Amino acid sequence: MTWSVSARGAHQPDNTAFTQQRLPAWQPLLSAGITLPLFFCAGLAFIGLGLGLFYSSNGIKELEYDYTGDLGTSNCSVCATEGQGRAPPPNCSCAWYFSLAELFPGPVYLYYELSNFYQNNRRYGVSRDDAQLSGLVSALRHPANECAPYQFSASGLPIAPCGAIANSLFNDSFSLWHQRPQGGPYVEVPLDRTAIAWWTDYHVKFRNPPLVNGSLALAFLGTAPPPNWHRPVYELSTDPNNTGFINQDFVVWMRTAALPTFRKLYARIRQGNYSAGLPRGTYRVNITYNYPVRSFGGHKLIIFSNISWMGGKNPFLGIAYLVVGSLCILLGFVMLVVYIRYQDQDDDDNDDQ
Amino acid sequence: MDSLVAVIECQQPEADLYRFMGRMIITQQMEEIVRPLGPESLLLRGARLKNTKEIFGVAIYTGMETKMALNYKSKSQKRSAVEKSMNTFLIIYLIILISEAIISTILKYTWQAEEKWDEPWYNQKTEHQRNSSKILRFISDFLAFLVLYNFIIPISLYVTVEMQKFLGSFFIGWDLDLYHEESDQKAQVNTSDLNEELGQLEYLFTDKSGTLTENEMQFWECSVNGMKYQEINGRLVLEGPTPDSAEESLTYLRSLSHLNNSAHLTASSYRTSPESETELITEHDLFFKAVSLCHTVQISDAQTDGIGDGPWQSSLAPAQLEYYASSPDEKALVEAAARVGIVFIGNSEETMEVKVLGKLERYKLLHILEFDSDRRRMSVIVQAPSGEKILFAKGAESSILPKCIGGEIGKTRIHVDEFALKGLRTLCVAYRQFTSEEYEEIDRRLFEARTALQHREEKLADVFQFIEKDLVLLGATAVEDRLQDKVRETIEALRMAGIKVWVLTGDKHETAVSVSLSCGHFHRTMNILELINQKSDNECAEQLRQLSRRMTEDHVIQHGLVVDGTSLSLALREHEKLFMDICRNCSAVLCCRMAPLQKAKVIRLIKISPEKPITLAVGDGANDVSMIQEAHVGVGIMGKEGRQAARNSDYAIARFKFLSKLLFVHGHFYYIRIATLVQYFFYKNVCFITPQFLYQFYCLFSQQTLYDSVYLTLYNICFTSLPVLTYSLLEQHIDPYILQSKPTLYRDISKNHLLSIKTFLYWTVLGFSHAFIFFFGSYFLMGKDISLLGNGQMFGNWTFGTLVFTVMVITVTVKMALETHFWTWINHLVTWGSIIFYFIFSLFYGGILWPFLGSQNMYFIFIQLLSSGSTWFAIILMVVTCLFLDVVKKVFDRHLHPTSTEKAQMYSNTVALSDEFIALQPLSRARNQLSKLSLLNQIQVSSAWTPCAASQERRCAHLLEECWNEF
Repeated sequence: MTWSVSARGAHQPDNTAFTQQRLPAWQPLLSAGITLPLFFCAGLAFIGLGLGLFYSSNGIKELEYDYTGDLGTSNCSVCATEGQGRAPPPNCSCAWYFSLAELFPGPVYLYYELSNFYQNNRRYGVSRDDAQLSGLVSALRHPANECAPYQFSASGLPIAPCGAIANSLFNDSFSLWHQRPQGGPYVEVPLDRTAIAWWTDYHVKFRNPPLVNGSLALAFLGTAPPPNWHRPVYELSTDPNNTGFINQDFVVWMRTAALPTFRKLYARIRQGNYSAGLPRGTYRVNITYNYPVRSFGGHKLIIFSNISWMGGKNPFLGIAYLVVGSLCILLGFVMLVVYIRYQDQDDDDNDDQ
Repeated sequence: MDSLVAVIECQQPEADLYRFMGRMIITQQMEEIVRPLGPESLLLRGARLKNTKEIFGVAIYTGMETKMALNYKSKSQKRSAVEKSMNTFLIIYLIILISEAIISTILKYTWQAEEKWDEPWYNQKTEHQRNSSKILRFISDFLAFLVLYNFIIPISLYVTVEMQKFLGSFFIGWDLDLYHEESDQKAQVNTSDLNEELGQLEYLFTDKSGTLTENEMQFWECSVNGMKYQEINGRLVLEGPTPDSAEESLTYLRSLSHLNNSAHLTASSYRTSPESETELITEHDLFFKAVSLCHTVQISDAQTDGIGDGPWQSSLAPAQLEYYASSPDEKALVEAAARVGIVFIGNSEETMEVKVLGKLERYKLLHILEFDSDRRRMSVIVQAPSGEKILFAKGAESSILPKCIGGEIGKTRIHVDEFALKGLRTLCVAYRQFTSEEYEEIDRRLFEARTALQHREEKLADVFQFIEKDLVLLGATAVEDRLQDKVRETIEALRMAGIKVWVLTGDKHETAVSVSLSCGHFHRTMNILELINQKSDNECAEQLRQLSRRMTEDHVIQHGLVVDGTSLSLALREHEKLFMDICRNCSAVLCCRMAPLQKAKVIRLIKISPEKPITLAVGDGANDVSMIQEAHVGVGIMGKEGRQAARNSDYAIARFKFLSKLLFVHGHFYYIRIATLVQYFFYKNVCFITPQFLYQFYCLFSQQTLYDSVYLTLYNICFTSLPVLTYSLLEQHIDPYILQSKPTLYRDISKNHLLSIKTFLYWTVLGFSHAFIFFFGSYFLMGKDISLLGNGQMFGNWTFGTLVFTVMVITVTVKMALETHFWTWINHLVTWGSIIFYFIFSLFYGGILWPFLGSQNMYFIFIQLLSSGSTWFAIILMVVTCLFLDVVKKVFDRHLHPTSTEKAQMYSNTVALSDEFIALQPLSRARNQLSKLSLLNQIQVSSAWTPCAASQERRCAHLLEECWNEF
């Protein structure tokens, strides 16, 4: 056995800033002296921003119309009562007339709004198969189990697109007509139905299955459409770039909403004479009334809105900024008073010492 | 060695390091020799060989059966107060979790009573779902809600706390201020679980010798044969008024030195002396011979290499002998005897060699009756050169004097008391001569007892009792145990910090009181109450009542209490409550004559008293182990009495004064760090999960998650874990120097202040309100679900959840930033890094269609979210609103009811600011102002900390003038 000799100071800890907890550090202190100017600055900035946001939101026009047809308020009530208790209801058309006293500045966006419709219900929200929607052939034949009870049709064929979301695709359609001279004929306003879905959804996330012999119909051979649909998915549109899983209405619908009252983009109005907006005059919206909402107490609305950089008409942000900004300044003043009063007291204390 | 055949019998493994019983039966030429084996023949694991080339050994216990291993296991688990309150909070959160789940389940079913909500045409159930039993559905729904909300229970808190404690404890070992240069020892952390408990102490129990004192003994005085001598400059001088003339006072020394012609001794100057009084000489001779024979001191052979010195080795003089002893008292005594002229040279085989004034004498060492704390004495039996067999006994006065039948008992007792009053440690020395018959009997009985396998200790004790009687008293020694550096300041600081200091010692009452006074434990101004020498219950009760009356009647601010062991056990047996009441009102308590187990019992009593105070015990010796283990926090002093205390402690330090940094700085920091860590964890999980709960009101309680599952998993692991961990390792809310110089700041965090139910509620309410702001802020932003994008497209439910989540990650991280007072580069890195990481991760995660994921819910969600201007404004608004309320509260608290810590922070900040101000000046002006300000700072410091700084101020001004003149 050897007796190890340890050098003197062998156990001495390292004298570094880290081990001695002496790292250079910034040591801020939340005192009134620092926070007061901060509060006033932040308050003023917020009020300024709030005013800006408020006016920006106020500049946005919105025109909405409830066409549920509840109490015989509109001619859609005929359709509503007709469709009562039957799903799907028969094709029924109604119209909404409105007139603009001045130009409705463009670009104008056409939305539909549903209320009391729980797209965020968990059972509903998971009832889809993203693999199938991405064009995977195996998933087309074998839809995910989450799709049940919309997984296989009564005859045992796989449903494409499967699931509750796809099955409940919104199927009302709208067309807009403009009566340019007073009492003249109605001219159809072109609705741009492209680019209403997210670019990535339309171009990447949703893909049709590979064509069979150049035909989309053959690709979907051996599948059944969702039970509520009147036509198969490959006939949603005649445009090959807008049919099947990449139909824009379908893609828009498949992005489930966060809250039970939601809007979805239907079309943009930006073509021809209407690129600057809707000129003054009388308009008619032809509505194909298919979608039943009264069974769950829902409402259907149609909305024209224009858009700023911050989106649609949203007074909340502006008001919230104003409120928080004024609170900042108010509390800043309170704090100033407290600060001055207690400053004196502190000085007195020090003098006493 | 090859031919050795032997059998070793020993006891079953046990944890006691200092107890071992066994025997070795050696078979030699058909003959069996039995040799006893005791603790002295056992080498513990990790023992090192010194001064010997080689030894032969047999492994007796191995692996988990070694005494060391058994000792590690037997350590009891200590849990800190923080951990306990953490568990309380956890239960509260468990209740919140379960009630949220129950509310959700009930509401789900009331909502779903109507079919239009339960199963609208667009959302049909499967047959299986329709037909499942209602009770089963109810239970599965309840469980689903539990799973949905379970993140409110911060599981990761436990992991983080463990990590914080483990990593954080390194700072104690690393601290240079806790490093003792002389002994090359740094602080040790044995239990990192208790770091924060160091900031919570209310009672401190300390041992005296070795803890408050150096345990470096110096021979001071002795009383021989009823005469008192003092050692002055290495000479023994008769002390005090004696009936004899002053000349006679040196008789002994003269008589001693008359034989001595060498210049070897310091006492040699008294060479000329009358050759008389030989009787006296023998008494004195015998006294010092006893001192130099009755011990277990070893001589160092390796005196020439001189490097590997043990901590308690010292050289008498150049080329002199070096002594090693397990007890510093013995070493001091042997050295003193050597200075007087009776030099212990060494023991070879079974003889002890002593040089008496240059003349070598050999004593045959027959037996050593080892010291133990029950007998409180040790003795040796030697055979003098003349052939007579003598027993020398040495021990505490209480254990020797009753056994004495001859010698100057009365005078010595007086002297011993006098020594004790001076705070000296006393030992009495006595001897006994044996007739050969007597000795033979003793020898036989001793051997029997030592080889006994059963009840060896009891038998030995009996034999010792039999041997150590009918002694003749020789005298008493007095050894001074020097106070450690800065003990007085430390104790004063502890008291200022609101910690009650109890000194528990085995010393005599007088010694203990005088040491208490000298170390500042007792003040002269204190009203000292005494509870000593109580013999009966009634007497004790009466005394206690009298004391409590005195406490209320005497108009003194501070009381001190002195109790001795026997009275204490009486008081504790019957009048515990009364006694504890008195103790709690005393600012200083001194318990003397304490047995080790009594020390532990006192601590246990304080621990279980109604207020349940947090206790700390400091000690250095094996006799302090029980109290170190009993207290909430045990601190061992790595001193001269072995390392047993250090090994059994939670923290080991080299010096008592290090306690002030350990408690006031490390303890305070650790407490602040961990308390905030715990509160923050609960807060951030409330923030996290409450929006999920609120969302259920908008999705028909269908258990729809608001956040993606990856976010749910990573929230606690990646996005919010590092800033709080860094905070909990590096935070210094105030300068450590101020903490140490202002012990009163310690009171700010006492009684687990930062984890009180009020603070906890504040954090929880804050968490809930932040969650409401996140959720409803996002909710109202969506409004009637208007478009938030510049191209009119719509967001979906995942975007909504991600918005809430983004605001939450930022808010929670910035909230941590608000709590941080100490921003090192690491803090900056992890705080801002966490937010940046969240953004980068989300961009990456949402930017790819992950082939292995079933649903692609998050695809491009985050990028779409960030492409909206409104979202950015909303994020800023929500984050600011959340923190705004908190900042307002902080500022108002700071200005309306500042704690003393906050005041100190303000103060230190102004100093720092003025330094910065200097830095901005041009150099020439800065130099002037720097000197001015540094002086001013001093004044500020002094005026802030001491009430009377006026004179100093004037001096400073004067100094200032002088400086200018020189320029």
